[in-house]
Amino acid sequence: MFNISSLVQKAQSAAQQLIDPMQGLNLTNSDRNPSKGSLFQNQFRLPSSQTPLFEIPAELTIPPSNVTHGGKDHDRGWHYAGRLHLSESYLCFSTTPTSFAQTASTSTSSAFTGQTHGAGPSGNGFTFPLCAIRRVERLNSQNFQFSLAITTWNGITQEQAKDKEALKDRKDFREQRITIQLAGSRQACERFCDGLKKGLRGAVGSVGKLKKVVAECYSEYLLRPEEKKNAASPDAGLGVIFKYPGDPKKLRDRAKMRLWAEYLRDNGRNATIIRQPTFHKLIRVGLPNRLRGEMWELTSGSLYLRLETPTLYIDTLDKFSGRESLAIDEIEKDLNRSLPEYPGFQSEEGINRLRRVLTAYSWINPDVGYCQAMNIVVAALLIYMSETQAFFLLSALCDRLVPGYYSSTMYGTLLDQKVFESLVEKTMPILWEHLVKSDVQLSVVSLPWFLSLYINSMPLVFAFRVLDVFFVEGPKVLFQVGLAILRINGEELLDAADDGAFISVLKSYFSRLDESAHPKSENPKLRAINRFQELMVVAFKEFSAITHGTIQDLRLKNKDAVLNNIENFAKRTAIRNLGPDSKLLSPDELGALYDRFYGVLYERQQRDHIIQEEQRRRAKASKTRASEAFPEHRDHVEKGRVGLGPSTSLMDYDAFREFLAGVSKWAISDAPPASPRRDPSSDRNAYFGSFRRSDPVSLSPWGTGPEPANHEFMQRLFRKWDVTNSSSLTLQNVVTGLAQIKGGRDIMGTITYFFELYDDDCDGKVDREGILRVSEALLFLSRRGLEGVLSTSDSNTMLNGASEADSAATSSPPIGGTVNERFLGSVSAFIRRCFEYADPDRPGNQDEVAQTKSPGAPFISQEDTPIDESAFTIGDDGDDEEDEEEDDLLAFDGPSTKSNITEKKKLDLGSIPAALGKPPVEDVGKRAVSSKAQSEKANVALDPSNPLHITLPTFRMVVLADELLEQFFESSFPTSLHIIDGLPNTVSQSSSLTTFSSLNFNRPAVIPPPGTQPGLAGAGRGLRGVLDNIVTDASRVAAEVRRRMEEAQRELEKNALPGQRDEDDEDDEDLQGPVKSSNAYSGDAERRSVRSSDRDLLDGADADAGASKEIHSATHPPIDADDEQPGQIGAANNSMQRIVEFES
Amino acid sequence: MADSNAPKPSSSVKLVLLGEAAVGKSSLVLRFVNNDFQENKEPTIGAAFLTQKCNLPSRTIKFEIWDTAGQERFASLAPMYYRNAQAALVVYDLTKPTSLVKAKHWVAELQRQASPGIVIALVGNKLDLTNDSESGQGDNDGDGAEGEDSGDARKVSTEEAKSYAEEESLLFFETSAKTGYNVTDVFTAIANAIPETSLKSTRGPGASNVVSRGGDEQRVNLNGPREAAKEGCAC
Repeated sequence: MFNISSLVQKAQSAAQQLIDPMQGLNLTNSDRNPSKGSLFQNQFRLPSSQTPLFEIPAELTIPPSNVTHGGKDHDRGWHYAGRLHLSESYLCFSTTPTSFAQTASTSTSSAFTGQTHGAGPSGNGFTFPLCAIRRVERLNSQNFQFSLAITTWNGITQEQAKDKEALKDRKDFREQRITIQLAGSRQACERFCDGLKKGLRGAVGSVGKLKKVVAECYSEYLLRPEEKKNAASPDAGLGVIFKYPGDPKKLRDRAKMRLWAEYLRDNGRNATIIRQPTFHKLIRVGLPNRLRGEMWELTSGSLYLRLETPTLYIDTLDKFSGRESLAIDEIEKDLNRSLPEYPGFQSEEGINRLRRVLTAYSWINPDVGYCQAMNIVVAALLIYMSETQAFFLLSALCDRLVPGYYSSTMYGTLLDQKVFESLVEKTMPILWEHLVKSDVQLSVVSLPWFLSLYINSMPLVFAFRVLDVFFVEGPKVLFQVGLAILRINGEELLDAADDGAFISVLKSYFSRLDESAHPKSENPKLRAINRFQELMVVAFKEFSAITHGTIQDLRLKNKDAVLNNIENFAKRTAIRNLGPDSKLLSPDELGALYDRFYGVLYERQQRDHIIQEEQRRRAKASKTRASEAFPEHRDHVEKGRVGLGPSTSLMDYDAFREFLAGVSKWAISDAPPASPRRDPSSDRNAYFGSFRRSDPVSLSPWGTGPEPANHEFMQRLFRKWDVTNSSSLTLQNVVTGLAQIKGGRDIMGTITYFFELYDDDCDGKVDREGILRVSEALLFLSRRGLEGVLSTSDSNTMLNGASEADSAATSSPPIGGTVNERFLGSVSAFIRRCFEYADPDRPGNQDEVAQTKSPGAPFISQEDTPIDESAFTIGDDGDDEEDEEEDDLLAFDGPSTKSNITEKKKLDLGSIPAALGKPPVEDVGKRAVSSKAQSEKANVALDPSNPLHITLPTFRMVVLADELLEQFFESSFPTSLHIIDGLPNTVSQSSSLTTFSSLNFNRPAVIPPPGTQPGLAGAGRGLRGVLDNIVTDASRVAAEVRRRMEEAQRELEKNALPGQRDEDDEDDEDLQGPVKSSNAYSGDAERRSVRSSDRDLLDGADADAGASKEIHSATHPPIDADDEQPGQIGAANNSMQRIVEFES
Repeated sequence: MADSNAPKPSSSVKLVLLGEAAVGKSSLVLRFVNNDFQENKEPTIGAAFLTQKCNLPSRTIKFEIWDTAGQERFASLAPMYYRNAQAALVVYDLTKPTSLVKAKHWVAELQRQASPGIVIALVGNKLDLTNDSESGQGDNDGDGAEGEDSGDARKVSTEEAKSYAEEESLLFFETSAKTGYNVTDVFTAIANAIPETSLKSTRGPGASNVVSRGGDEQRVNLNGPREAAKEGCAC
C-alpha cells in the first residue's frame, strides 16, 4: 500500500495538479493559508483562545545577574531585538522575525527562521501570562519614546505577596525585572500600551489562579530558600516514588539540576521564564529528572492549557465517575501492558494514575477516545509529571504536536509515514531505492517510532531525551531522529533484503545505543561519545535542513492521497459491514450511496463552519479592536471527512432532505435557489463522489445544491428509516431504507411500503387523514413528472411538435395531454376509491359501507376495462411524450395540483363543495344521474362522523386498479431515486425555472444555457411565484383543486366528444389569475428561503381569512357530506358509474 | 526447530494474523513460535513481527508472521501488513459471536484486497473455555490476553463457523492457545495448503530472479547470501 501504490498516487495527484494545482488536494482554507492566529498560537504554544492583538518591534533588556553571570561581557545585561506581541492574556516576545499583525501578510507571518520554525517557542524571548506581570512602569529613556519596565510575580508566592516587608528583608530575593523599549511610531506605541493596560487590568483576577498553578511546578520548590525546603515538594511524577529510569550518576543529573537552578534563578521560572540561548542548550543535553515534567509542560505549552482551566482534570473525573465506555474497556486491556518493565507500572499506584489520565482524556476528547500507544506515551509522561500535568500534555500532544496520530482513523500517523518516506527518498536515495527494490515497507518499522514517540523503540533514557527536544522544537524532531537512525544504519540496511532483516538490524541498533560510537578511537573524548549522542548530532546537524516548514509542505502534499486511501478503506469496510439489506442494492449503488451519505454530512459541516466563521468575523469586526474577552476561538479543526475521523456519521432530518434533493427531483423545493450565483455546470456527482468542494464559499444553508423541499412525505420517510427513533440516520438506516424501496422489490412490496409509511399506529389501517396524505404524497412525488417505464407512449418527436404548436396556440396543455394530468386523475380516482372501499371504524356505518363495498370483490376484474378506457383515452389522444417538454408541463401541473391537494387536506374536503357551487352539469343525461346517485353513496364515506380506514389489501386493490398508479409503484417511484448518477444538472439546478418559463412563453422546454438563469429571473420568478402562491394561498388552492377536479371530470366525459375545447380556454383563463397576482410576490426573494409552513403564516394576511384559519387549525373541521361533492370526485365517478352499469 | 538433516527445499511464507481485539492472536503466535503462553508483555503497536519454521516431509516453510494490533482503528493499517501475504490466519473468539462477524469482514477484505490465491484459515480460539474442549481444561482465569472478557462457554457453534468456512473455502480450526490444542496443526495445514507454485515465485521483485527454488536447493544458495541467511536464521 505504501510503496508502489504511493507512486501511483503520486502520479495521480500530479495529474490532478496539472489540471488545477489546488484542486487535487483536499485542502481546507486553513491548510493552504493558515490564519495568523493559528501561527501565533503555534509559535508561542498558546491556547486557541489567544489571538494576536498588537505587535510592535521592541528591544528586550535583561539586567545583569549579580549572582552568577558576573562576567564583564554582560555587565550591562543582555539585549535582544525582536517583536513584542500582545494577545488577550499573554505578552510574548520573540527574536524570531515574524509578524502576526493584522496588516501583515501570511507569508511574513509564516516565514519563520527560528529553530522551531514557528512550531514552538523559538528564538529568545518570553511568553508571559499577563497575570504573571506584577507591575509595568514607564521609564524615561533617551533613545526610545517608550520604555517599559516589567516586574513579574516570579518567585513570589502567595503568602509572600501579602507580607511585603518580609520580602524586602530577604537578602537573596531579587525581583525579576526586565526592560522593554518599544520601537514603533508614537501612535503604535500608545496603542500597544493601551492594549497592554487593558489586558493587565483584566488579568488581575487571575493572579491567584496562576500562583496555584505554578505551585505544582517543581521549580518553585527547587528555588525555595533553604529554610523552607522541608515543605512538601510538588508531584514530580512516579519517578519520585519509584526512581527515575537510568542511573542518575551516569545521566549527571545533579550537575544538570545545578545548571538549571542557576538558569531559572537568573531568567525566571515556569510561567515567567525567559528563553536565552542557554535554555535551548540545556534542553539538548537532556533535562534533569525532577524538572523534566515541568519543562515538558512549559515548552509544549500545556502549562497554558492548565492555566486556562486548572480544574478540568479533576472535574472531568468527577463528572464521569462510574460511567462506562468503549474507550474505558480498551484502556483496561492495556493498563498492564504500558511500560511494564518500569516498577511504577507494576504497582497499583502507577496503574491507577495511568487509568485516570487516559480515562479523563477519553471523556474530554471522545473523537479520539483511546488509541493504543497512548498508554505508552502517558505512562512515560507520568514518570516525570503529575496526573494533571500529564492530562494537559496529552491534550497538547493530540491537538497540536501530533495531530491525528491517535484519531479513530489514525490519519495523522499514516500521513506522517508518507512524509517520512518522501524525506527518506529525498535525503537517502540509495537506501530508498534499495527499499523499493527489496519491497521492504519502511512504515512497518517506522510507524511505531512515531506513534509511540520512540518510547518503546529505544531504551527509555534515550527516548526521553528525544522527547525533551521534541516538546520544544516540535514534530520535525521525530523525523530528524528517524532519518538519523536510517543514515547511521545505512550500510547494514542495504544488506537487509526483507522486512524481517530490516527490523532486526534496527532492533539491535536500539539495544546498543549506550555503547560507544567510536570504540576503537584513540581519542578518549571521541570514545566517550555514545551511539545516542551520535544519533542526536546526526539528527540535528545533518538533518538540520528538515524544518517545520518542510514537514508542513510534505504533509500538505500527501494529505489528500492518504485521506483517500483511508476513505477507500473505510468505504470498503463500511459497505461490507452493512447488513443483509444491502445485498438488495448493487455494489455501485452502495458505493454511490456511501459517497452521497458522507458527502452531504461533509458539505454540511463545512458550510456550518464557514457560516460560523463568517458570523464570528462579523462579530469581531463590529467589536472594533478591543482587547476584551473574545468569544472562544477554536482551533481550526477540520471535521467531516471520513478520513479525519468520524466527527459525525449521523444524518439529521435537514441533512436527509439535502441527501434526497441530491438523488430525486421531487425532493427539491419549488422555491427558487437562494443564491443567484450558481454555476449550473458544476458537476454535483464529481464533488459528491470525491468529497471535493467546487466552491466552498457559499453562505446558502444548502451550499451550491438546490434547496430541498420539506414535505410531510419526507418527514415520514425519515421517521420510517430512523428505526431507532434517534432523530438521525446512520448509513445503515439509509441503505436499509433505500433497499426497501429500490431493492428490486416487486410492486406489492412498494405498495406495502407506502402503506406502512402512512399507517402511523401500525395497526394495518390508514384512516381518512392518512388516505388524503397518501394522495398528497403521490402528487408531491409526481409533480416534476414521473420517471421510469410508462406505457402508452407514442412517437415522441411528432407529438412533441404537435404539443408545441398546440400550446403555442392555446397557451395551455393539450387536452388530457400529459402523463401528469392523467396521474392527477389517477390520484383523484384513488382518493375516491379509497373512500369508497374503506372500512368503517364504527359498526353504525356498516350498512352503507356494505352497500358500497359489496361490489368490492369483483371490482378489479370488472373494472379493468372501463378504467383503462376512461383513464387512458385521455393520454392516448393527447401526447404522452416523456421528454423534457412534457416534464415541464408535468412539473407545472404537478406542483400546483400537488399543492392543491396538500392544502386541500388541511382545508378539508368539506370546504370545497361549499365554494364549488355548481356540480358539472354540462354533460347531463342518464350518466349524470346515475353518477350523482353513485356519488351520494360514495359520499357517505366522506362523512367525518363516520370514521373509516383502509387496510392494506384495499389499498393494494385501489392502486392496482389504476394503471398509472400501478406503474408509479412499480417503477416510477423506485427509479425516481437516482443513487448512482444523481440528477442531471438541468433537473437539479433549474427544473422549476425551466418548466415554468417554458409554459409562460408558450415554448417548449428549453434548458436554459448555464448562466442565463439570473437573466430569466424576472419571468421565472413570476412563474415560480404562481407556484408559491398556489401552495400558500389557501383560498386559491381550494379553487384550484375544484377547478382541476371539474376539469378532470369534464375531460373524462368529453372523451366521447374529442375536439371540444371550450373548457380548456377557460382553464387557461383560470390560470392567468394566479399568474398575475403572483408576480407581486416574486420579487421578494427572502421569502423563498422561508420554510413553506412559515410562508403560510406570512401569506395568511393575503389569503382568505377563513381559509387561512383552516390551514392553521390543527384539527380537521367536519366534512359536510353534501351533495355538492361530485366535483371533487367526479372524475372517478365516471368510471364508478360504469361499474355500476356493468353490474346492473 | 531448524532442520539439521539433509537440506530440504525451504521457502518463506508471509503470514498475517487478523481478527478482533482480544481474540488471542498474539497468544496463538506465542504458542506456535515459543510454545509458550503468557501475558504479552510487549504491547503491539501496529504489528509484531515473528518468524518460525515449519518442517514438512518434503520441505521447510519459514513463516514470517505479522501479528497485527486488534484495536479497531488500527484496521486501516492492516493493508500494509497483509500486502503480499501468502497466508492469513483470521481469528475469532468462539465465546464471542461478534468476533466471528468481524472475522467474516476480514475474510471478505482479504478475498478482495489481498494477493490472489492467499490461503486463509479461519480459527476459532479459546476452545479451553468451552465444555466440549477436548483438551479438557476448563479454568478460565489467568488467561492473559484472551481470557479477560469471555466468561463461560461457547457461543459460536462449530457447525456455523465450519459451514461458513466451507462456503468460502477456508481452512477451519478450533484451537486453544492456552492449552496448545490444534495450534501447530493450523500452521502445518497452512504450510501444506500453500501451492507449490506460489512458493517458487516468492514475493518481492528481489526474489523474482530465483528460478525453480523449490526444486533445487543448491542453486538457490548460489543465488545469493540472502537465501542462505534465511536458511540459517533460527527462529
